[in-house]
Amino acid sequence: MACRGAYDAAMSQFSNYLKPILLRLGSMSLAVTLLVVVALASVIGTVLLQNQDQTDYLQQFGPIWYWVFRALGLFDMYHTWWFLSLLGFLMLSLSVCLWRNVPRFLKEMRSSKVSLSDQAIKHMKHAKHWDIKGQSAEVVLEVARKRLHEWNLREETRGDVSYIRADKGSKHKWGYILVHSAMLVILIGGWVSVHFSFRGNMQVPVGAKESEISFLEGTSVAYKKMPFEVRCNDFNIAFYPNGMPKEFRSNLTIIDQGKEVLTSDIIVNEPLYYKGVRIYQASFGDGGSKIKLKLLKLDGTGDIETINTRVYTTFKDEKTGVTLEMTDFRPHNVENMADVGQKKDFQDLGPSVDFIMRGPGFKPVKVRSFLNPFELEGQNRGSFMQVSFSGQTEGFQSIALGLDMTNPQEWQLFQRFIIHLADVDLKTSEPQKANMKAFREAMDDVFGKGKRPENFQAMAMRVLQAVQVIPRLPWPYVPVLDDYDQTYYTGLQLAKDPGMNVIWVGSALLVIGLCIMLYVAHRKLWVIVRRKGNDVQVSLVGLSNRNPLNFEREFHQILSDMEDDMQSLKQGDVI
Amino acid sequence: MTAIAESSGLWQSLYQGRAAFVRYWAYIGLMLGAVGLAMFGGDGYTENGYIFQLVGQDGLIWLGTGALLGAGLSIMASVAKPSIIHGRIPQMMVSWFDGGALMIVLMALFTLLEPTSAMVSYEDQSNLFAGHVIMTMNILFIFSAICYIAYLFAPESFIGKMATAAAWGAVYAGGSSLLLRWYESYLFMDGDIGHAPVSNIYEVFILLFCITTIIYLQWERRYQAKAMGAFVMALVASGVFFGIWLDSVGQAEIKPLVPALQSYWMKIHVPMNFIGYGSFAVACGAGMAYLVRQWLEARNSKMVAVFPSLDALDQLAYKSVAVGFPAFTLATILGAAWAAEAWGGYWSWDPKETWALIVWLVYGAYLHVRISHGWHGRTLAWWTVIAFLVTVFCFLGVNMYLAGLHSYGRLS
Repeated sequence: MACRGAYDAAMSQFSNYLKPILLRLGSMSLAVTLLVVVALASVIGTVLLQNQDQTDYLQQFGPIWYWVFRALGLFDMYHTWWFLSLLGFLMLSLSVCLWRNVPRFLKEMRSSKVSLSDQAIKHMKHAKHWDIKGQSAEVVLEVARKRLHEWNLREETRGDVSYIRADKGSKHKWGYILVHSAMLVILIGGWVSVHFSFRGNMQVPVGAKESEISFLEGTSVAYKKMPFEVRCNDFNIAFYPNGMPKEFRSNLTIIDQGKEVLTSDIIVNEPLYYKGVRIYQASFGDGGSKIKLKLLKLDGTGDIETINTRVYTTFKDEKTGVTLEMTDFRPHNVENMADVGQKKDFQDLGPSVDFIMRGPGFKPVKVRSFLNPFELEGQNRGSFMQVSFSGQTEGFQSIALGLDMTNPQEWQLFQRFIIHLADVDLKTSEPQKANMKAFREAMDDVFGKGKRPENFQAMAMRVLQAVQVIPRLPWPYVPVLDDYDQTYYTGLQLAKDPGMNVIWVGSALLVIGLCIMLYVAHRKLWVIVRRKGNDVQVSLVGLSNRNPLNFEREFHQILSDMEDDMQSLKQGDVI
Repeated sequence: MTAIAESSGLWQSLYQGRAAFVRYWAYIGLMLGAVGLAMFGGDGYTENGYIFQLVGQDGLIWLGTGALLGAGLSIMASVAKPSIIHGRIPQMMVSWFDGGALMIVLMALFTLLEPTSAMVSYEDQSNLFAGHVIMTMNILFIFSAICYIAYLFAPESFIGKMATAAAWGAVYAGGSSLLLRWYESYLFMDGDIGHAPVSNIYEVFILLFCITTIIYLQWERRYQAKAMGAFVMALVASGVFFGIWLDSVGQAEIKPLVPALQSYWMKIHVPMNFIGYGSFAVACGAGMAYLVRQWLEARNSKMVAVFPSLDALDQLAYKSVAVGFPAFTLATILGAAWAAEAWGGYWSWDPKETWALIVWLVYGAYLHVRISHGWHGRTLAWWTVIAFLVTVFCFLGVNMYLAGLHSYGRLS
């Protein structure tokens, strides 16, 4: 017994300490503070770009702030211990709130009093009294019941006084309960997501298969094996006429333990579902296209060498020490060719290949070489390429090579012209004429004496332009895209999230609860009938927990109806 | 005199009793028919084809059957149980449906004024008729705002009526212009880029003006809060100027939808969001009216008499939040559902998502202090104003200053 007493004492002492803490935790002030603090904290993560490269941050903020921010975890803010603790606190506060209030609310909903003290009646904002002579209380009560038939009625008689209590929307407290439990459910769902879900990317070249996803864990990359393989059978992009992508579509086959179990198309917004994992169309890129490049030698020989390589590989030329690192291939380059402010004019410049050229004697450059010559106003203006000396795509400058490199004779003509130009006497009095002569000789060399191809004037223009450009290039050769065999990779996102369904349940509860909480007003009316000998005194009082403007109106409607009833009762009619 | 009384009697009878009840169910039937057509009709739902199905033979059959069934069943029900026709919801909703139907009729009329297909092209959209309708809307909104402000200084009922009429006119112009843009999006590129008019910042701005104004006009009609119009419509009018600027920098063009936006979710998520934003704008207007009235009271200004009571303004601000908050909550949830379907996760802490959460928390805190702490008056009036600034940042600032998954809403 003594032991028991000590235990109880300890418990009561414990709860003496606990109670104020719990009260504080469940208090509104804490709830509001938490809401505001979470809101303010969330702002940081939107202003500071999350999960970027660490070196970028270092560059942006300088070493001191970089380390401060890093210590606070601001670069991956939404997963830091302190932000998660804030959310945890919110959960705790919600739980305490519910634990404190729900039993009280349920009790109140079950056992609200029917009768009303005189003191309470006096304090009602909406009240009206009638004295009716010569009618029994029963008749009056019956009239009131009829008038309030749409309301939820309960009655009680205490001595000479009868009460009718009419309720509408008495379930509104469920709104509070639903909303707060919904928030708890949603936060729990989020917790389940954080701990039991995965979401990562895989790149599957067309024709290949893959079973591993990669994802960011904190600030480093992690990998995870899927219980099945995904094969990409096909990948297609449909374009709008203005070059904007219209649809990305992958045809995928799921291979589970060596067996093909499922083949289906996916597009953005329509993922595939297999074994609890959703497979999304997320991105695309070059899957290692075969590239054939022409290397037009600038060593005076005029030789053309062709090489075969692939995107993502590096071609190394042993003789010159030049390397070509192939980075990307694009089958279409749609550009608006109109000037700013003019009517838009979209043109496809055709396929292009990107590579980085490095070698002895010149600065590394990023090059985008186009397969087709550039056409303007129906005229062939020769091949061109874009070159970036900074190595960034934004730094691309267009270089018109002058020559149409798809025509090997044009290259030959250019070479011969250079050779014949070298023979021109620099001190000649008529340089124009001498140059013309050199060109004619070059023509004769390439096409045979006196023979001229069609359009040779245009060709002459191009060759003349090339003389201004090509000899100035610092490279041993001009690499030009010659042919390709394109392969895409499809970028897939794979995700599994058991918390998701919890979230949807919570969301549904939240919306229903909010509607009840905000739109269902608990309106209460009392009709109080006092017997005074042969007469009765009737009172109508009412109150609402919200929306006083509407309730005022509703009350007045009922009041004027009751007024009519009472007038006719006074005149002795029995309705 | 009697003629007017009679006609207004006729007008009233349209919105009461059996006429309203049957019409309400006919509309419901019509909409169920449209849903049925999308789910089971023809060759199934396609983003581009559905709209043509609706106006084609399939649509006539499905929608007509739906409407007739709705009307027929409701007539039978009303005969079996006459008291059913006095329900509140049909009487309340039927005027909304009528308004929607009127917008569609206006849109159909405008299509007749559309230039020939030779005169419009994707590259040059300046000939499209919606531009004129939008300009009309702009003028009406600005005129309405001026009238409402004039009403504060000269509370003549004529000025007040003009303000209200212009506001309604602008709402119908705006609503029908959006529908017309939907139609116009099918006019070029072989109908390949047709999409609902909620895909860029210009279109959602028009939507926002209309929703804000409609919500305000409801409060005006029910609670005689005309002075509040000066504040709400001033907000709308300043938005209109922003819209005109957007047009001038080429943001008004109809552009194809990127694959991420090609989803029925867009048609639900975006308008729902703007119901939220619109109500928050009205709450801000009520909050400003509250603060101004208090300021006027302190200086014993006579203008106070025009304003609704402080209590009423406080209530109206709360009512607007009470409309906006559930709508915004639902919109955010729908957004999460869409994200789960398109991006592989319902929540990515993308700036737009995070700011939506911030807005939600700010208004959530507002409801807490109001409902449970019983705060009223000045503080909460300021709260609605500042919370609206947060809202504006959420839907404009995020697109302008912060990168993220929602970057297609960007100004470019």
